[in-house]
Amino acid sequence: MGNSLFVSALKSRSPRVRASLCVMGLGQLLSRQWVKGLAYLSALAAFVAYMALTGARDIVGFFTLGTVEADPWLGVAGDDSIIMLLRGLLCYVIILAVVALYRSNLRDIMEIEHNGAWGGNAPGFISSVKGYMDRKFYIVALALPVAGVLVFNVIPIVFMILISFTNYGGDIVPPKLVDWTGFDSFRRVLSLSGIKETFFRILGWNVVWALLSTAINYFGGLALALLLNKKCVKRKKFWRMFPILAYAVPGFITLLAFKFLFSYGGPINHYITEAGHSAVGFLDIDAGIKARIIGLGVNAWISIPTSMLLATGILSNMNMNLYEAASIDGAGPWQQFKKITLPFVVFSTTPVLITNFIGNFNNFGIFYFLRGGLYMDGYFLASDTDLLINWLYNLSIDNNYYSIGAAVSLIIFIITSAVSLSVYIRSNAYRKEDTFR
Amino acid sequence: MKWRKHLDWLLTHLTLVIVCFIFFFPVLWLTLASFSATGSIYDLGGFFPKSFSLAGFRKLFGDTTMYDYPNWLKNTLFVAVGSSVLGTILVILTAYTISRFQFKARKTLMKSTLVLSMFPSFMGMTAVYLLMVNFGLINRLWALILIYASGAPMGYLVQKGYFDSLSSSVFEAARLDGASSFRVFRSIALPLSKPIIVYTALTQFAWPWSDFILPNLLLKNKDKWTVAVGLMHLDETQFTRFAAGSIFIAVPIVILYFCLSGFLVTGVTAGAAKE
Amino acid sequence: MRRKAAFIVLAIVLALLLTACGGAKNKAGGGAGEGGFQGDPANPVVLHILENDTAKAEGYLQALLDAFNEAYKDKGIQAVDANMDEYTDLAMNGPYGYGPDVLYQANDQLMRYAEDRHILPIEAEKLDCYASTPESAWDAFKMNFDGTVYTMGVPVNIQEPMLFYREDMMPEDWQTKWDKDGSGIADFFENWCDLYAYSKELHDADPNKYGFMVSMNNLYLASPFMLSHGNYIFGEKDGVLDDTDIGFSKGDAVSGLWALRQFAGQMNEGCIDDTVTLNRYEKLADGSYFCAVSTPDTYSLFLNNLTNRYKQDGLSEEEAKEKAVENLKMVEVPARMPKSGDLGQDSSSMTDDDWTETVVMGGVNGYGISSYTKYRDACVEFVNFATSYDMLKLRADTLGIAPTRSDVAAQCGDTADIIFKSLEMGRIYLMPSIKAVDQIWVPCQTVMGDVAKDPFREKQGEAPKYPGKTELQAALESIDRNIYDAIHTLAG
Repeated sequence: MGNSLFVSALKSRSPRVRASLCVMGLGQLLSRQWVKGLAYLSALAAFVAYMALTGARDIVGFFTLGTVEADPWLGVAGDDSIIMLLRGLLCYVIILAVVALYRSNLRDIMEIEHNGAWGGNAPGFISSVKGYMDRKFYIVALALPVAGVLVFNVIPIVFMILISFTNYGGDIVPPKLVDWTGFDSFRRVLSLSGIKETFFRILGWNVVWALLSTAINYFGGLALALLLNKKCVKRKKFWRMFPILAYAVPGFITLLAFKFLFSYGGPINHYITEAGHSAVGFLDIDAGIKARIIGLGVNAWISIPTSMLLATGILSNMNMNLYEAASIDGAGPWQQFKKITLPFVVFSTTPVLITNFIGNFNNFGIFYFLRGGLYMDGYFLASDTDLLINWLYNLSIDNNYYSIGAAVSLIIFIITSAVSLSVYIRSNAYRKEDTFR
Repeated sequence: MKWRKHLDWLLTHLTLVIVCFIFFFPVLWLTLASFSATGSIYDLGGFFPKSFSLAGFRKLFGDTTMYDYPNWLKNTLFVAVGSSVLGTILVILTAYTISRFQFKARKTLMKSTLVLSMFPSFMGMTAVYLLMVNFGLINRLWALILIYASGAPMGYLVQKGYFDSLSSSVFEAARLDGASSFRVFRSIALPLSKPIIVYTALTQFAWPWSDFILPNLLLKNKDKWTVAVGLMHLDETQFTRFAAGSIFIAVPIVILYFCLSGFLVTGVTAGAAKE
Repeated sequence: MRRKAAFIVLAIVLALLLTACGGAKNKAGGGAGEGGFQGDPANPVVLHILENDTAKAEGYLQALLDAFNEAYKDKGIQAVDANMDEYTDLAMNGPYGYGPDVLYQANDQLMRYAEDRHILPIEAEKLDCYASTPESAWDAFKMNFDGTVYTMGVPVNIQEPMLFYREDMMPEDWQTKWDKDGSGIADFFENWCDLYAYSKELHDADPNKYGFMVSMNNLYLASPFMLSHGNYIFGEKDGVLDDTDIGFSKGDAVSGLWALRQFAGQMNEGCIDDTVTLNRYEKLADGSYFCAVSTPDTYSLFLNNLTNRYKQDGLSEEEAKEKAVENLKMVEVPARMPKSGDLGQDSSSMTDDDWTETVVMGGVNGYGISSYTKYRDACVEFVNFATSYDMLKLRADTLGIAPTRSDVAAQCGDTADIIFKSLEMGRIYLMPSIKAVDQIWVPCQTVMGDVAKDPFREKQGEAPKYPGKTELQAALESIDRNIYDAIHTLAG
């Protein structure tokens, strides 16, 4: 399908189509569509100028990653491999954008040709604009968001993926030159003894953590919403205020506060020692399961308010007749919850559940703030509460092993995205999309 | 029967009180600590300060040679409002389009946003930093707005859910009357989506308001710092000031959420598909 | 291969260029330190100076900038506050033009940049402070690069962990009971056994009081236990630090760790994490801790807390301040450490052979010049001015630091002079000036905290993890291994 446009343009005998095939916008100009033609033409001119000025050099730089090492002492600017990698990537994106523009130019000229063949006039600029306000509105509406996501989300991700195929990191940081090394980083992640064990050990805990915390937050929020929904509870708004308070304090402040609360010098231990017991190391090296439980609890404290709001909203949409019917049939509260509430709520929140699961899987803040700065026996640069993302941070930011960090994150990324994508595609919420209106 | 009802009432309220206490206590603790007279956390002896004063807040706003909190607040407000406005526009456009239009790339877009959101975000931070260096956008507050707003459409699912739930008959009627897609969006969809716009604006406001990773990366000069960056750089002996600063930035969010809690419920619910 | 060829060509071209310049330039190429700088007074060049937060808070930075700008008005140089975080990473910002021109940091931080040439070599002998600064301080900023030794920074002051205490908390009978050698200095400030004995006595009498307190997981502050027994951080090979040779477990290191474990037993659990580091100011002021370890630059924090304390006791602001200055004392940690690591010994029965000299970790803070500055010579002028006698004297007076210039140190009272002498006599182990030093902290912190927890495990009836020296030796070896892994495993 991709090339059919190009092929049919080639086959066309129309001079206008051929003109646009050679020079973007020329055919439109020949059809007296001045504004559109000039727009295409100037885009082409800008692109050619860009390629001549820096684009071509950037593409070459992308492959060499620099040939001249900088020497700041001598004031030799040299090549910054990482910037070159990024500029090369930017150049590819620009080329892709121009190709897309070129295809739209072809499609446009064929359309004009087609209409012309039926005796119609080529639409003027105004009516073209009208087309974009109506039939093609989605293109206009999505152009900006897609461009933004492309530049600030997709490019960084592709960049990191590319980094995993280089030797960037450790001693090799600018001004030293970085090189492409293929799958070397992946081989090292999987072959070095300490790293592999640490990876699987952390992965295991990471999965448990993600499942548990998602479940706790989800059902905690649901329970709280059900509680507030009870008929006997008056002044619901008042009661709801407290979780919202918790929600309003910025996350990192909450985490620092909890770290202090549970530290040896914190108030909790103050009262424990005051009562004559010895202080408890909630988060120190021996803490193990205690620290994990505190992590789950703190995460619940931060996340339950949101899921409570969600559950409240969903419950308010429920058909109350079902309950009446159920209680006439003699179903108890538990039966009602299991047979009516739960299926309804879970059914309508699968996408949110998946998002929460991913969020928890990649929850960096909790253990970074609560229990950072520990390297334990049996772990390579990590502790027993660290999640993969914390380990990644230790590897790539704290210890500068960017390419290794990128390789690990790519592996994690492949696992998580495969799992959640398949769950998402099977979910009711997504499948209903197929019968979309 | 009656005693059972009373028991139920009692148990429900007991649980409520306990739960609310759990949520309230750390906030209360932080608030009271911000009024501590000595300025130190270790003078408290247990949870609460022995004597109270406004010194923490006075220092926060008066003593600005080292820590210019009023200026940070100004910067934060600028970034948060800017991101909120721009981000909301982008999210609403994305969600509306994906909800209301059938086009070729639609499913691909939906799946790719899901996959993209799974990438550990700070791994891309080096690239974001270098991009901004490349474009000469370090130390610029509006560059932050650009990044926050650009990332916003990734979380379009909630808004899409809302638009999905709007009855399509209104839209069809308008189309039959010959209104263009843009007109339908402007004169029918937008007025109908007030709750979701408020919800989106709120969430888009709250994130830059408390984020510190991105501004810490991109704002080098102290006079450009946002509150979160500044608070993280406070000396650890400045606890009262830290608590005061934290409480002070939480207040606007609480007020906003409280006033708009109705919208909030609508907004969050929309993320879930209707039956 | 192509790259190599290109590189060789480039090297040849550069070499030719350099010789063409007549070899008048020294091996540092365009390195700093040549001649003076003459700019346009009407349109001065602006230097961005990164100083530490204390210097800023206490007003020293402003005084320095004002004095400099006044003196260099005619030469067309103006210095301004870089207005950045004091730990700004030059390697990340400098190359892109966002770093400071001159930066003041500790030697380990500054020297991280040296290996990748982010800071410029300095012709030390051309600076005014050269002669009066001891060789040992300059050594902290020396780097061997392909066989040539470069000086990468200019020393300003020395930091080492010091002991803070309140004079009015001294035991009344210390002269009779705690000065067995009649030296006029209390025994517990002279050797660790007596400090231990006094701490025990104090704590046994009142369980809420502690003698000596420090965060035992802090390698820097608790360094007497980690570096006094013949061990080292990085070994040396051919006069260069060798980051494959890590020596925390070498020598009789285990005795030091044994002493750490023993002393933790006379503290509270706060010594396991950073609690003591955070609460030492208040706890010293309220008398809960008799003495605590901190660095000289925190003097003002102790002073403020003690002043507040006296005010609460009913003194006026003036009186309280005066009394606090009078009573707050800062001394070096005890100089003599038992060789065996057993602090429970009776010091009076010990001979000179039973002792070893305490070694503490220290650092030299100094100025470095960013390689990315546009005005190298102007930066040299600034550094020269900032390390002049007058400015260093002012710095020492305002901030209570110990200067590296011998002439200033001699004028600054006892403490400064004592620290200065300790540096000269090798009692201070300077933080190694290589990049790999970044990796020593977390592995040490983890093990030290774990060992410090052992006495508390015993108190709770749990099995101790480190009951004997074998286990402690294994712990030290795991430190070395972890540091080695962090530096080398992935560097491949």
